[in-house]
Amino acid sequence: MKPVAWLRLVFATVLAVGMLCPPQVLAQVPARFYWKTLSGANAVPLIVESLSGNTNPFDPAHTATPGAHFEATLALPGYARTFSLFDRAAMAAILVPMGRISGDVTVAGKTVNQSADGFGDPTLEFDINILGPKAQKNIPDVLRYEPGFSVDLLFDLMVPIGEYDSDQPLNIGQNRWYGRLGMPIVWQLGPWVPGRRTTLEFLPAVWLFGNNDNFVGQTLKTDPMFQVDAHLTRDFTETFWGALDAAWYTGGKASIDGVQGEKLNNLGLGLTLGYQMNENLNLTFGYMSTLNDNAPEDLRMNKFMVTLVYGWHPMVEGMRRLKSDK
Amino acid sequence: METVLQHSTPAIGRKPGNLSRLPRMLGIAVMAAVLAAPAIASAADAPRRPNIVVILGDDLGFADMGSFGSEIKTPNLDSLATAGVRFTNFYTHASCSPTRSLLLSGVDTHLNGMGNMDEWMAPNQWGVDGYEGVLNNRVVTLPQLLKDAGYHTYMVGKWHMGKAPSQIPAARGFERDFSMLDGAGSYWDMTNLSAATPQSVFTEDGRYLTRLPKDYYATKTYTDKLIGYIDANRGDGKPFFAYVSHQAPHDPFHLPQEWRSRHVGEYDKGWDAVRQERLKRQIELGIMPDGTQLAERMWFLPDPIVLAPVTRAILGKKMELYAGMVENLDFHVGRLIDHLKKIGEYENTVFIVFGDNGAEGNDLFKMITGSPGTRDFLFAAIKWSQTHPNAWGDPGSYVSYGPMWAQVSMTPFSQYKGWLGEGGIRNALIVSGPAVKRPKGSVNHGLLHVADLMPTLLEIAGASYPKTYQGRELPPLFGTSWGRVLAGQAESPRTEQDYLAWEVFGNRALLQGEWKLRWEYKSFGKGQWELFNLAADPAERKDLAAERPEKVQALAALWDSYVRTNNVILPSRSVFETLEDTLPPRVPVDPGYPPALYKRQFVPPKDMMADPKP
Repeated sequence: MKPVAWLRLVFATVLAVGMLCPPQVLAQVPARFYWKTLSGANAVPLIVESLSGNTNPFDPAHTATPGAHFEATLALPGYARTFSLFDRAAMAAILVPMGRISGDVTVAGKTVNQSADGFGDPTLEFDINILGPKAQKNIPDVLRYEPGFSVDLLFDLMVPIGEYDSDQPLNIGQNRWYGRLGMPIVWQLGPWVPGRRTTLEFLPAVWLFGNNDNFVGQTLKTDPMFQVDAHLTRDFTETFWGALDAAWYTGGKASIDGVQGEKLNNLGLGLTLGYQMNENLNLTFGYMSTLNDNAPEDLRMNKFMVTLVYGWHPMVEGMRRLKSDK
Repeated sequence: METVLQHSTPAIGRKPGNLSRLPRMLGIAVMAAVLAAPAIASAADAPRRPNIVVILGDDLGFADMGSFGSEIKTPNLDSLATAGVRFTNFYTHASCSPTRSLLLSGVDTHLNGMGNMDEWMAPNQWGVDGYEGVLNNRVVTLPQLLKDAGYHTYMVGKWHMGKAPSQIPAARGFERDFSMLDGAGSYWDMTNLSAATPQSVFTEDGRYLTRLPKDYYATKTYTDKLIGYIDANRGDGKPFFAYVSHQAPHDPFHLPQEWRSRHVGEYDKGWDAVRQERLKRQIELGIMPDGTQLAERMWFLPDPIVLAPVTRAILGKKMELYAGMVENLDFHVGRLIDHLKKIGEYENTVFIVFGDNGAEGNDLFKMITGSPGTRDFLFAAIKWSQTHPNAWGDPGSYVSYGPMWAQVSMTPFSQYKGWLGEGGIRNALIVSGPAVKRPKGSVNHGLLHVADLMPTLLEIAGASYPKTYQGRELPPLFGTSWGRVLAGQAESPRTEQDYLAWEVFGNRALLQGEWKLRWEYKSFGKGQWELFNLAADPAERKDLAAERPEKVQALAALWDSYVRTNNVILPSRSVFETLEDTLPPRVPVDPGYPPALYKRQFVPPKDMMADPKP
């Protein structure tokens, strides 16, 4: 293979195959989210989601409201950049959720239909690899990269500046600080060859919530919530891949002015299909639904998710310009 | 006596009805043993003839073993060098099957059927005796003669000298064989290179295989099979001849995962640096004389210094794989050595190790797959399209390392496989074992040729080359025995007047003493005779033809004699006939030229630097 041709393949693969997809409002990220790429790469992700269920999807604590039904349409544009820190691969990202939500809300035994729209709480994310190959600081590093068994540390912080109306319980903004500490794991199974890659991926994490001191005039507290996402991913071709997804949540018991809610213990299953449209653009389509959710108090949620990620690196863009001149 | 009883007892035990004859038979056996005792004692006193193991590395380069200056780790091959002698002036042919035909017949290629490679036989050579493209039936083979002399004869690996039932190893003297009949193919399965020949053909003990054994990997399986053959016949006291014709390290570079990452990044420095390092070690080891210069980098290759790191990394990775191939080969050679030690045969085994021609700098895959829209391209798309670097080494990948690394493998020489520069035909040779009386680990510079193996090994086996075989008059041997050289009684089997000559693909060369006459297609050659003094210029940097016309004339006369004597018919077509049109015009390679490429950023003196004035 000629070097230039190989370069194109590398970047088509590493920049666009969803490595820089943003976190989602459901506190899940797509499979292959924590794959690593060349330091200095940029990405603009756009996630569009359609959700329905009995919990406010903007509330990561997923407080179930028996008998309620929510519908939400969301978009999450963002920006992410990869870099090297202490010779380890790192990424910083910001995501700004926006959209609209409507649903039935029960307050003091009375159910009313409410809606909200606008911007949600922006997410600041920082991820750094702690176990696995060193950062890919140049293209030879990319050439030799295989994740093997990689472990990252993940920090998310949601800044409470999203749209919030203290007169109603249904909001896009959460009016409290909250965040996540996680440990994304990518486990390479078999060869690291586009078209043949298989991975098993996990994200164990804990969510920590500040108080919302003005939740319809009351104080909303939420216990820490534990999350484990799992994905079995597999290439179908060099540009087309799929994943079986699972998510399990526990904890996150909410209380309003001391009135205790139910602790979460939910399992969701889903699938994702990914397609690399060209050297810069990657598209994924996913669906996930909760299981064992027949009882009224059980959390129930399902979502369709489409992501589009545009990735680029200045050096690759320059090489393409030179090549197209010839 | 034990042997006699052991042989007799089961025969008696099989038939209960014969029990009444037991005492009588035992008596006969005892008598026979007593009568045979003096003969047995005599045989025990006589020195056992040595086993012979010829280890051929396919496209293994002159400088690829540690004992010949390589950074590639070959401890097992090197152990043979340490125990034996290294030869630095050993010549093969420029390509695969011609060398093999010389090895197994001892007869010049234009007489033994390999006047040209089967794949490139020219129209004017079709149907001509000596140009069958297979080892023809006018020659007798080394294994045939050794078998007649009482040797077991085994072969494992690549054959490449004919596929018809009368041409396969079992028909040419090998008692046991596990052979790939093709010249190249997958190391993992039966996939071959082109749509015309999509499957490699294998034989085992004279039968064509319908499938390969489980867990097949060429180098490993060949070794396993050979060890099995040796063990199967071990008890009968006969020596064996083993032709271990490894496919490795011929491309495609197929190798197990764990062998691919032993030199990560080591070759990013580029081919020039590695060549310089190898030459330095060669001089330290006494392989090359002090003051030896490297051959020019081929004019169409870039100076790696000017390449982007990624380009060097990608090209370097190919060399990493090649190094892994050689090390894996060495590992399996080590398995064979260890086994022979374990069974007590190592000390009585003559090892001969060499590569069959220069390292491969041609792009065989490109030659075969052709261009989009062709039949072979489609075949490659289906069978050989694992092009991602992380897939290199896997089934379906085809990696070769190109002329830049081939030059490294052939340090310090010029050119590579297929050509008659020293880099195409001169190779490393190790000989060890009881036939070698020279100091252990010594280096010899005598002029040797692969065709010498026939008379040499016959001499070691106590046999000789007959004038006729099965009623057929045999062509004369091309080679000369190394017996006196191995015994330390001579430095070379040849005098200054003896000459060697080569012709393949229309390229031709003749070597006499320190002088070499060479004709090659442009732009590797000049399309006319060139003259080199190898003693002063082993890298063939300076053509002396214009300065020494009388020497050219004298050597050309010898060449004409060689042509007449050996049935040489220059081909009307050649694989290289249009090469000149595909390469950039040949220019000298002067280090550091043009300076524009090498000038570094000018940094002004700090105390003279200033910001712009307002």
